[in-house]
Amino acid sequence: MRFDVYTPLLVSLLLPLVSPVIGRRMAPALAARVLTSAAVLTAAATTWSLILLTTALLGDVPPVIREAHEDGRPLADPVPEVIGVAACLALAVVARRVQRAVRAERRTRRALRRLCEGHPRDTELVVAACEVPQAFAIPGRPGRILVTSAMLGALAPAERRVLLAHERAHLRHRHGRLVTAVTLAAAADPLLGPVRSAVTFLVERWADEQAATEVGDRGTTARALARAALSTGRAARPACALNFTDRAVTRRIAALQTSPPPYLWSAAAAVLALGALAALFAADATTDLVRLLANALT
Amino acid sequence: MAGTGSRGRAERRSAGELESEVLAALWATERPLTPAEIQTEIGGGLAYNTVHTILKRLYDKGLVLRDADGRRGAYRPAKNAAELTAEAMHEALDRGPDPIAALQQFVSRLSPEEERALRNLFAGGGA
Repeated sequence: MRFDVYTPLLVSLLLPLVSPVIGRRMAPALAARVLTSAAVLTAAATTWSLILLTTALLGDVPPVIREAHEDGRPLADPVPEVIGVAACLALAVVARRVQRAVRAERRTRRALRRLCEGHPRDTELVVAACEVPQAFAIPGRPGRILVTSAMLGALAPAERRVLLAHERAHLRHRHGRLVTAVTLAAAADPLLGPVRSAVTFLVERWADEQAATEVGDRGTTARALARAALSTGRAARPACALNFTDRAVTRRIAALQTSPPPYLWSAAAAVLALGALAALFAADATTDLVRLLANALT
Repeated sequence: MAGTGSRGRAERRSAGELESEVLAALWATERPLTPAEIQTEIGGGLAYNTVHTILKRLYDKGLVLRDADGRRGAYRPAKNAAELTAEAMHEALDRGPDPIAALQQFVSRLSPEEERALRNLFAGGGA
């Protein structure tokens, strides 16, 4: 228990370190999936560890101690009280962060539903008559693709096909769910923030690769991205200025100018093992704690 | 051989996907387009009859209009639903933290030096 319970924390420190490397070297479809799975496992294990550490405070509750001493069994308290209290506070913060993330998610879904109002249900493309070039996928049944008229006007015919193929890939492979999962994981475990950024970037790369396969030309795909990004930069957008200067588009274009990265199955297995390790140790710590409390109480 | 290849590509696209492409093509230009012009625009060996069928379907859904005072047989996009959506986007922005900003956009914003680098790409790659 003394050691097991802290392992998920160690994994949450390790995972952000490996995720940029994995993101650069591995096929985005595989990298996004394994990083998300590992992040969800780790976040669950970390939260569970906090719950265990908080529960260990029970060992300090007077009746438990009295009973233990009456029994003539000295109670070995594996968790210093300070850590128990800190874990309890951390747990409150986690609950608050997850609640806020869930609320933001709901707000976005509501807003997205409103955007599709007035458009026939069986039409994939939802056009917005808007001067700001924008495009995104709206997950759901059926999934929709929202594109503003300014974005459609900025692109050449082949580039429009890239855009549609890219957004379709988001819908087909349920990227919305992956991003929601990793967002909630990062809300529960703030150490996993960099993994979330890696995954949000990777699903874009994944959709780019799909679009390039569908259109059959990596060059056209790169050009579509460049033109869309340049038109976004040109538009005066006082209200909805997104301040992304994370070099994301440039990195995506650069990736399209080389050959697609390989599926590194062994590296993928290693990342998954990291997540599984966190979960295993958390489970082990649970049995330790249960045994300890059972000893104290019987 | 190349012709059959591109034809194959057009046929693999589903009816719904082709509908999106025709609608996108109509929105991309300022002026109404005839089915023949749309056929050229979309390419990929799409049959004229297919374009006609798609336009008819879009017309029945109220997404495109026949250009009454312009050329015969030309189509333009219907603006109603699109304006409603644009309004909803603005409202979502006005109401506080932008829920759309949290979404995965097709492209993100550029920094000035990134913009310069991309312009060079166009100049060199021949867009």
